[in-house]
Amino acid sequence: MQRPDWAPETIDIERPSVARMYDYYLGGSHNFAADRAAAQAMVAAVPEAPLMAQANRAFLRRAVHYLTGMGVRQFLDIGSGIPTVGNVHEIAQHDAADSRVVYVDVDPVAVAHSREILAGDDRAVVVQEDLRNPERILAHPEVRGLLDFDQPVAVMVVAVLHFVSDEDDPARILRTLRDALAPGSHLVLSQASDDGRSEEERAEAERVYRRTDNPLWVRSRAELTAFFDGFTLVEPGVVWVPQWRPESPDSAEDAERAVFMGGVGRLGG
Amino acid sequence: MAEPAAAVQARSRPGTFARAWAKAVSGTSFLPMTQEQLEALLQRLTDDLAAALLAEPFDLRPGHRVGTELVAHHIASAEGLGRTVEVVQLRLVRDLGLVADDVEDRMARLLAAVATGYARALRDRTLDEQESIRRAVMKARTQAERALRDSEARFRHQATHDPLTDLPNRVLFTERLTAALNEPGRGARRVGLCFLDLDRFKVVNDSLGHQVGDRLLAAVADRLRRALDGHLVARLGGDEFVVLVEGTGGTDDVVAVADAALAAVGEPALVDGHELSVTASIGIVERQIAGTTPGDLMRAADSTLHWAKAAGGARWELFDAERNRRELARYALSAAIPAALERGEFYLDYQPLTSLRDGRLLGVEALVRWRHPELGVLRPDSFIGLAEETGLIVPLGGWVLAEACREAEGWSAHGGSAPFVSVNLAVRQVHRPGLVQEVRGLLERTGLPPERLQLEITESTMMSTTEEPVRALRVLADLGVRIAIDDFGTGYSNLAYLRDLPVTELKVAGEFVAGLRAPAVEPASRTDERILASLVSLAHALDLTVTAEGVETARQAERLRAIGCDAGQGWHFGRPAPARRILERIG
Repeated sequence: MQRPDWAPETIDIERPSVARMYDYYLGGSHNFAADRAAAQAMVAAVPEAPLMAQANRAFLRRAVHYLTGMGVRQFLDIGSGIPTVGNVHEIAQHDAADSRVVYVDVDPVAVAHSREILAGDDRAVVVQEDLRNPERILAHPEVRGLLDFDQPVAVMVVAVLHFVSDEDDPARILRTLRDALAPGSHLVLSQASDDGRSEEERAEAERVYRRTDNPLWVRSRAELTAFFDGFTLVEPGVVWVPQWRPESPDSAEDAERAVFMGGVGRLGG
Repeated sequence: MAEPAAAVQARSRPGTFARAWAKAVSGTSFLPMTQEQLEALLQRLTDDLAAALLAEPFDLRPGHRVGTELVAHHIASAEGLGRTVEVVQLRLVRDLGLVADDVEDRMARLLAAVATGYARALRDRTLDEQESIRRAVMKARTQAERALRDSEARFRHQATHDPLTDLPNRVLFTERLTAALNEPGRGARRVGLCFLDLDRFKVVNDSLGHQVGDRLLAAVADRLRRALDGHLVARLGGDEFVVLVEGTGGTDDVVAVADAALAAVGEPALVDGHELSVTASIGIVERQIAGTTPGDLMRAADSTLHWAKAAGGARWELFDAERNRRELARYALSAAIPAALERGEFYLDYQPLTSLRDGRLLGVEALVRWRHPELGVLRPDSFIGLAEETGLIVPLGGWVLAEACREAEGWSAHGGSAPFVSVNLAVRQVHRPGLVQEVRGLLERTGLPPERLQLEITESTMMSTTEEPVRALRVLADLGVRIAIDDFGTGYSNLAYLRDLPVTELKVAGEFVAGLRAPAVEPASRTDERILASLVSLAHALDLTVTAEGVETARQAERLRAIGCDAGQGWHFGRPAPARRILERIG
């Protein structure tokens, strides 16, 4: 259920926010009591929750590092959340100072916070949009202003697609984004997967997220792979995120405990 | 296995201890760096700790610094501190082969300093992050409130403005007018309105299309906005605009605005390659604020606009309370006709049509009267015009015709033919499809012989080019019904229809007869007499009889007889009266 354009937005910190819960998993303090209570309930249901957030964040870091290595200098990070440690622009601009990054999030608090963090960096901006409106994201003046879609762009849809229901047609969203991209662009995607989870654990996790504004839609490896339609998956394909190009072999142990699966695809040429 | 002295190996490759430390803190929180970077960092801190343990004099500050640095590099969880304390306590001295007399004592104090520095840094960082997220919430709220205000403002604009011209709409205008009356600014005592409507705008829409019409309206709106800067110009809908003139000193102030508006509208407009010239009509009302309401003002301005339209457009008219009162009274009167018909408030009087040759009563003209419950008896000139405008003439005229036939049937002739009854037919009645059937039905029902019914029509009835009325009248004439042209000589006077129509009589308007009152030596009187003589000879040549209306004196009657006029009607021969009074005279 999307908020219609005319409806005023409410900022209610009594309601858990997935962006701030994620920050809590990562050890941050950019969160409120309601966020922490929801996150703790999630940890009770799925003890690996903090681990999976960390693993996903590490995947993001390795993916950005990989992309800068491939010469990509433009990043569109959709569902960027609370800008805690290890942001895309920090990683990318560390590797290549001329990297440009647009953050997109639907959470007004996350956007306000990002704007403060990004003040003074003219190569990084944040816009408030919903992943479910890819046309609006692509048409947004700030997006158009910073990114050149005739050049490769890395679209990051990391740890957010599990908040998009099947009715909202994630495949269509990704298609729309893909069609706007030039050859050499990339899609970085990860989301919660139920491969190998017990029915109980899945039900409990979904119950926790139903209390937030964003219920959870876990998906299988096959479904995730299909999301890369039109892209060529780079090695090793769609895997548990710790298994994606690990820095040391032992860091990929017990990879399925990370809950998140992800991969990187390259468009054309 | 002891390593060589730490100081020597410092800042080279991470040693066994630094790698063990890195392993211990991995996974305690998200670390935004590679394992390699982590090990390098911890090697540096290992060197600092080792140096501090051996330093003379013993100094706790490096311990604090190490704790602070750990947090700064995001090794910032409770587990991170616990594992650090554990690994340093268990392995640092052993792995680095450190030797000192009081090393255990120093280690305890150094670890306490690390923990203190770490806890302080973590607390500061937590507070900073809490502040920053709260600041973000406030900003987001401010943003949301601004967005709400903006969208409310946008809504309000949409709700109060006309999308085509972006002028204020009726809603906003009514608001402002109400405010002008309720809270007049700076002691304003008077207020004015201009109701403006484009003349024949429909023609533009119909001939050039609505798109051109819409652009013309937008152009007109722009000019009005520019020309009447400072006054509220609103579009009420269609091609209707209104201007609010506040704080007027009198009528002249609003007239000046109306003149400016007419001039602005009057400039030719180039729309889609068409040069369009439009004019407008304006109704002006200007009055004291005290005692008036928005509704009163709007109604008054609207009525006045209609006067300007009726007067031909391209002008303004000023509201006139007396004229308005009369019109309202007329309106009320016309609205009451249907009920009056139902209650039987109408009745007929008759006026004699007398032969000028022998003084015999040839016929009578039926004249409708309204016994109004409040206004008394009303003559036809006070309500027939209204009935014609509103179309109520059809039922009213139908009633008159039926009543006249019903009464006339009962009149018997004493020693001669009974008089015919002459009934006026309005244009609308003649043009109605069912006229022939209606008259035939009446004659059948009442038993009145057709030759005792005369229908009076005016010249204007025949101005229509349609065939139908002529055909209907011919059918009626063939039945034997008499057809008279009423008020002949005052209107259209196209003689062509006399050739086509089965007319039996001309009734010459009273104006010509009036001239005959004066002595025959007066030139005007002579002229009228000559016109009458010509009409009579024309009529006779066409085998028509002539009745002169408005005969008031014996002298007029005498001169008409001398001209050869057939019959007369007027006070000289008898005023309108109930049928029985007229009939008494021939009894």
